[in-house]
Amino acid sequence: MFRFLKEKLSKLLKKTEKEIEKAAEAEKEKIEKEREKERKVGVIGKIKKIITLTKLNEEVFEKFFSEFEELLIENNVAIEAIDFLHEKLRKELVGKEIERKKVKEALERSLKEALSSLLLEPFDLIEEIKRSEKPYVIVFFGINGVGKTLTIAKIAKLLKKNKITVVLAASDTFRAAAIEQLEKHSNALNIKMIKHKYGADPAAVAFDAIKHAKARNIDCVLIDTAGRMHTKKDLMEEMKKICKVSKPNLKIFVAESVVGNDAIEQAKAFDEAVGIDCIVLTKFDVDEKGGACISIGYVTNKPILFLGTGQSYDDLKPFNKEEIINALFS
Amino acid sequence: MLDKLGGGLRKALHKLASSVFVDKKVVEDVIKQIKRTLLEADVNLELVNELCEKVRKKASEKVPGIEKKEQIIKLIHDELVNILGAKSFKLEIDRKKKPYKIMLIGLYGTGKTTTTVKLAFYYSKRNYKVCVLGLDTHRQAAPEQLEQLAKKANVACFVDKEEKNALSVWKKFSDKLKKYDIVFIDTAGRDTLSKGLINELKTLNKVINPEKTFLVISADIGKAASRLAKGFSQACKIDGIIVTKLDGTAKAGGALSSCKEAKANVVFITTGEKLYDIESFDATSFVSRLLGLGDLKALVEKARLAFEEKERKKLEKRLKAETFTLDDLYEQIKAMQKIGPLSKIAEMIPGFSFLTSRASKLFDVQEEKLKRWKYAIDSMTKEERENPEMINASRLARISKGSAVSAGEIRELLKQYKIMKQFISETNLEQGIDQRTLQKLAKKFGKKLFLH
Repeated sequence: MFRFLKEKLSKLLKKTEKEIEKAAEAEKEKIEKEREKERKVGVIGKIKKIITLTKLNEEVFEKFFSEFEELLIENNVAIEAIDFLHEKLRKELVGKEIERKKVKEALERSLKEALSSLLLEPFDLIEEIKRSEKPYVIVFFGINGVGKTLTIAKIAKLLKKNKITVVLAASDTFRAAAIEQLEKHSNALNIKMIKHKYGADPAAVAFDAIKHAKARNIDCVLIDTAGRMHTKKDLMEEMKKICKVSKPNLKIFVAESVVGNDAIEQAKAFDEAVGIDCIVLTKFDVDEKGGACISIGYVTNKPILFLGTGQSYDDLKPFNKEEIINALFS
Repeated sequence: MLDKLGGGLRKALHKLASSVFVDKKVVEDVIKQIKRTLLEADVNLELVNELCEKVRKKASEKVPGIEKKEQIIKLIHDELVNILGAKSFKLEIDRKKKPYKIMLIGLYGTGKTTTTVKLAFYYSKRNYKVCVLGLDTHRQAAPEQLEQLAKKANVACFVDKEEKNALSVWKKFSDKLKKYDIVFIDTAGRDTLSKGLINELKTLNKVINPEKTFLVISADIGKAASRLAKGFSQACKIDGIIVTKLDGTAKAGGALSSCKEAKANVVFITTGEKLYDIESFDATSFVSRLLGLGDLKALVEKARLAFEEKERKKLEKRLKAETFTLDDLYEQIKAMQKIGPLSKIAEMIPGFSFLTSRASKLFDVQEEKLKRWKYAIDSMTKEERENPEMINASRLARISKGSAVSAGEIRELLKQYKIMKQFISETNLEQGIDQRTLQKLAKKFGKKLFLH
């Protein structure tokens, strides 16, 4: 991950440092010349300041950012998120006095901070479930084919491992063989699943699963829903109904990390319709660029809980903000 | 789906046209806008820079502003068409070769299984004896999914729910497949980074030796598109690309980039979850739609699929004939409901596309209205339907009473009928429409239809 970005970024930082150095050098010469002309004592202090401190002017910054922008674009960060970073960094960096020789560090720090402000630290799901009243209801949603069902299976296994009892609700009653798919996972993991027939009301399935959990004193209900395009009004209404009926403690938006600029539109639409509490990014192993986490983090302002990193049940990685950002610069 | 991308490009071009002097600053502004629009659509950065460079060169030529606009539109149009494939793809199926094998490959969750069945459905409607074969032995319930979809589409399906080796499944059924004209092969989703799955693909490709291999790509994919397309094209030759999930907000720029990487063109696009939500792809009309020029060709094609063969011929005859009646409008309304939501249709009609961004709400209302129009038509006599001009005030009152639809709405229906009739008499849908006529029509009817 970020391999490509890392190399380019460090080159860019070095280049910008040199440019600032050059500008500062020119400035110093100019002032020295002035000093020769004026021969005034008070200026000495000024020179000293310029030698040790330098200012990042608008021009250098824009030049630096336009290259940084291309890097981000190539790494799949959505344009809207880049605009946000641009504004933020411009405010912070332009005109700021930076110690010479430490320009690279300063830039790096600012970039890190800016990126960091886009991402939230995830909470501990297991602690949260243990702390909450039973049953803890989680509903999963997202567009078609992002990997909701497999993600549920992975999380179910993780919960089971942590001695949390789980029941699955097969609320995808639309897609062909969706129920069978979840059923196979439930058999493999030996976890109870509640299902109805195809075409049944997904909210009713969720309701039954919660009822089952209450009756059997089960800790957690995971609700699988049909993939839906965020543009389909009726399906979004259905999603609202599922949430209304199941009153979930947690609404997880599942998205794939290979998604491009559309990530913004998708996340926005789901957030507006049902409200996103947190995010799972799937197919993280497919895309070494990883920009989607920045885009989605930006638009939803919600934490990313897990990254899906493969096809087996254990390929679920807790999201670590520091790790992601440090990976960029190390 | 593409209104945003088209909107951005149109805005840029409008700016160009509205400036009196096209100086360097205007050109740079326009290029900046185009660049941003394309990047937001996930088009590969290299491709974007290339295109912008060409626009810059073209724009610096000394021609008056208005002509310059047309030239630049044409340039962008042609460049995009070029990337997507200038020659429109026509799948020539050799009926003597039995079975003609078409294999679908791609990343996880792009919609291979659904697309496999959609394709089979598409060709079964075109009088081919088709079947589907499920070689996805990895994902849970993949054979069941294919089986259930195939049942819906009423096409033969071969799957083995127990077998874990894709090659054995192929061997098991290869004799039975010989009875069919075309077999569509669904494969497991795979990433080009995982060696095992790529090797499996290579083996399958070698043993099955499909006549055509299509790469399935989701419209919302970002910058990973290029790498994936490259990886897949190294594993086996790709004859075409199918872009799925175009019914969302994605602008499919990633697909554009993959075309270049895989050295293949887009052959089909899919736009929904229903079996007939598949369109053969024509780069020229796609780009026209993108730039907001509308696309009647795709609409006609879509209508063709939604109608049963018999109804289709009837409609074509009707659309050709000058005797267009309310009955026909009724048929059209019925057909439209089969084709999909109105907002989707609107994109394809010249002059409507400029409305789509703010129109989705408007169209939801329209759909309601269509329902009531249907009631009104049901309340008319046969003569009235065939000759709506005869509907006078007293007839109108009767119809309104009979159908519980307000007189105003019925008048609106009659107005729509009049416009449609005029539209049909001035267009020849059979021969297709060239771009100039399209623009002319857009001007004329776009205003009439929606600005009243």
